[in-house]
Amino acid sequence: MPDYVPTNAASSGVRLDKKTLKSIATRTDRPGLIWLAQWTLGLVATGTLVWAALGTVWVWPAMLLHGTLLTVPAYAASHETAHGTAFRSRWLNEAVLWVSSFIFIEEPLHRRYSHTNHHTHTWHVGEDSQMPYNIPLRFAEWFAATTGIIPLIYHVKVLYVLATRNFSDMILKFTPEPELPKMTRNARIMIALYVLIAVLPLAGIWWPVWFIILPRVLGTPVMILLVLIQHAELQENSPSILESTRSFTTNRVMAFLYMNMNNHVEHHLYPQVPFHALPKLAEAVKDQVPEPDHGFVRTCAELGLVVLRRSLGRSTKAPTIRQAPRMITDGGPIHSIAQKTM
Amino acid sequence: MNQWIDACAPDDIDEEDLIAWEHAGRKYAIYNTEKGFFASDLMCTHEEQSLEDGLVIDCVIECPLHGGRFDVCTGKALSAPVLVDLKTYPVKVESGRVFVQVEG
Repeated sequence: MPDYVPTNAASSGVRLDKKTLKSIATRTDRPGLIWLAQWTLGLVATGTLVWAALGTVWVWPAMLLHGTLLTVPAYAASHETAHGTAFRSRWLNEAVLWVSSFIFIEEPLHRRYSHTNHHTHTWHVGEDSQMPYNIPLRFAEWFAATTGIIPLIYHVKVLYVLATRNFSDMILKFTPEPELPKMTRNARIMIALYVLIAVLPLAGIWWPVWFIILPRVLGTPVMILLVLIQHAELQENSPSILESTRSFTTNRVMAFLYMNMNNHVEHHLYPQVPFHALPKLAEAVKDQVPEPDHGFVRTCAELGLVVLRRSLGRSTKAPTIRQAPRMITDGGPIHSIAQKTM
Repeated sequence: MNQWIDACAPDDIDEEDLIAWEHAGRKYAIYNTEKGFFASDLMCTHEEQSLEDGLVIDCVIECPLHGGRFDVCTGKALSAPVLVDLKTYPVKVESGRVFVQVEG
């Protein structure tokens, strides 16, 4: 028997009768295909804007828009397909996992296994391999992460580590040994493709710069803001997802880009539920979970304010977003609670 | 010595679903699939997680925690993160009852 309890609905005291859960978790290809088609059409539209704006100053806002539409859904799709819940057809799921993980810059098996570990040990210090910042979060780290610098360094480092077989203890912990050679092979293929894309301008081919590379860089901040609010200011080492994880309300556009993952508490409770059914799941468990925080922008702004105040030695009580009691202080020196694992 | 044990009625398990069943202190999963009834150990081989709330899709059971998949007919581990096969047990339907052959 393992010496831990996986963090999920059971460990959180949330119950849903089996028939309801089964009806919600039913897997089909259609919603995923519709989402994929809409994403592709959106990319064609914003890509056209970039093309039309080339040579003008308007190319930068166009690339920001295109980049956000490229990066956030790639992150969300990589996550959903790492779970295997985006489609009923397995081949479709794995194909989208590869493409989206390539855009996200993470080797697909590493994506899957590290996230598996994250679900088993959600927000457990030293166990959760996807703690992207030190706890408590400070302004300098929040800012560096939001610019995309820290995540980029992390992704490049992981690819290098996998490609050179210089595995960290954490990777060895969450990856079954037979999978390591596959991860090395995949990382090498991905690095070769990234190098190829990087040298294309030397051959006079610039379209990847305007349509992929710069947009991917510009789209990172919104993606990181989404990542940061998933667990920030909440309780570490708790068996309950209700204490460690945050859901927030948002508009239809953001819900689409993020594949409904604003229902993050519900996702961690029942990770087998596909993205399109998360609103239905949220409705089914709403009496058993905390009220979601209000809006993406407001949640991000309050988190930014809290970490700024913490770094200035001021009180850290947020106006409305949920916080673990120990995250709320009257100010003064910051006492470190946990080291990041990413 | 292996023995056939009366486990449940066929109607106790919805189509494309499973139930948890316990006998002599051991936990089993009994599946109703398009290919008939099957049985396996209840716990996923990846981590200590019951498959009871898992999804049965065609003849595949998907673990509810990490999405590892097994062929319920053979127990074969189909996709990451599961790598170790699930132990399966013979099943027969006789006289309106589902019997599982367990190790005595």
